Amino acid sequence: MPFLSYGSYRIRYELDGPTDAPVYVLVNGLTQYAELWTAYRDALVARHFRVATFDLLGQGASDKPALFIRQDDHVAALHLLIGELGDGPIFLSGISFGGLIALRYAIEHGQRLTGLVPMSCFAELPPQLYLLGNALRTGLVLGGTSYLQDLLLPMNVSDQWLKPVLETLDNVKRQGWLINDVYALQNLMESFLDFQPLTPQLPLIGVPTMILNGEFDFLTPRALHETLRIQIPDSSLVIVQRAYHAFTLEKPALTADLLARFAEDVLAGGWQGNKAVWIAPEEAGGQLVPFPAGYDHLRAIPVQETIR
Amino acid sequence: MRAFFGPLDPEGRVPLHQQTRVAAFLISAHGALARHFAFAMPLKLESAWQTELNAQFYREAEIVSLLLRATSWIPDLALSYLAASWETTWLPKPIEGIDDPPLALAGDLAARAHAIHAGIRPAALLPVEADTHDPFVTALRRIEFESGRLLQAQILLLKSPNLTPFREAVSATLEERHAEIRKLWAEALEGVGVSVREGNNDKS
Repeated sequence: MPFLSYGSYRIRYELDGPTDAPVYVLVNGLTQYAELWTAYRDALVARHFRVATFDLLGQGASDKPALFIRQDDHVAALHLLIGELGDGPIFLSGISFGGLIALRYAIEHGQRLTGLVPMSCFAELPPQLYLLGNALRTGLVLGGTSYLQDLLLPMNVSDQWLKPVLETLDNVKRQGWLINDVYALQNLMESFLDFQPLTPQLPLIGVPTMILNGEFDFLTPRALHETLRIQIPDSSLVIVQRAYHAFTLEKPALTADLLARFAEDVLAGGWQGNKAVWIAPEEAGGQLVPFPAGYDHLRAIPVQETIR
Repeated sequence: MRAFFGPLDPEGRVPLHQQTRVAAFLISAHGALARHFAFAMPLKLESAWQTELNAQFYREAEIVSLLLRATSWIPDLALSYLAASWETTWLPKPIEGIDDPPLALAGDLAARAHAIHAGIRPAALLPVEADTHDPFVTALRRIEFESGRLLQAQILLLKSPNLTPFREAVSATLEERHAEIRKLWAEALEGVGVSVREGNNDKS
């Protein structure tokens, strides 16, 4: 298990795939750990990518600072990791909290990236997300990691995913409960206490960017992704059908396929962001279709678009 | 070495020598915190924050009482020398670099309590097959759960404006206390055939 040194802390990471291939770097969400990308590693390596996964400071097998941890630390640690990956093309993708770290990296070190894929992501903390974040933190403090998982699971995955595992939910939660510590998760959450919106800096992201948003994402709804689409010049928004916030867990084959196709398009010079809005196929390998012209993609019912 | 307690007996109970060692360590650690909170607590509470001292004292005492009654004890000869090294570790060591002695002592107590409440996760060592109706199993779960709540007072103090000017010193002391206590916990467990999980700051 290799580690990077970040000051006195160690960051656990893993590299898979051919050393001369374009690299995908995948950044975990708040309560995740690197093993949750296993299906992505397999799928992307099979598509001739090298894949880098790691545990953020405070997660999994990386060190867990006892009290103070800043989002800058995650960006710096990510920079260290990317520094290990040679001079070839680098695609960076992150989910939720990891998407935010990926955005910050692209703003600060965009020249090192070939493409960016923020998923279930946000650049601001509007009142709903701010209050939800506070409530989740209180849930963690009062009820522990298990209660936080109880809150997040029904919010972030579908009935179709939950139904077959409902009777064995404790087993599903166990690895996350074992590997995450209350204080470390709390430190990660409290790194938002001095959060400043990234929106004014999003236009600095010059790389091709594919924004992925679950159709039914309740935690970070469409409007938050719309900010990214409007502000990032070479971007497209792709809506993942029937998906919730944690669609990377629920639809790994489809999501890995979307990641691979995006990178292949960019490398072939065929990518055109155009701030377009697309609908992802239901299954890996299917066609992306443009969101119907004239309809408002921010609404849940087919409302005709007005000039904004 | 095993990653979890065991092998469990046919009723799903943790082996008695593991129960004894773990309970002794936790009683030593939480008992020391109870003593320190008792000494820090005035007879008449004069500030709102002192109500938390009262809560911490009684919850630490509850943990000690719970373990004394929920554990199936057997003789453990190693406890004589292990307990001595544990008790030495709990002695107050004011945070260096803070020139206000009461604050340096309070910071040290908070750092030690943080390390015990945050870093010691006894329930995470229970295998899935452990009997959920066994009092020792329930006690460990309760202690880990309560520790997450008790920890909040330490976080508030360590991040408080009083200690903000000493952030570097506080941070260094806290990491040191975590490493110290993790090492003791790991050694206590290794003696009964349990190895705590890899990673997690274990550079000792």
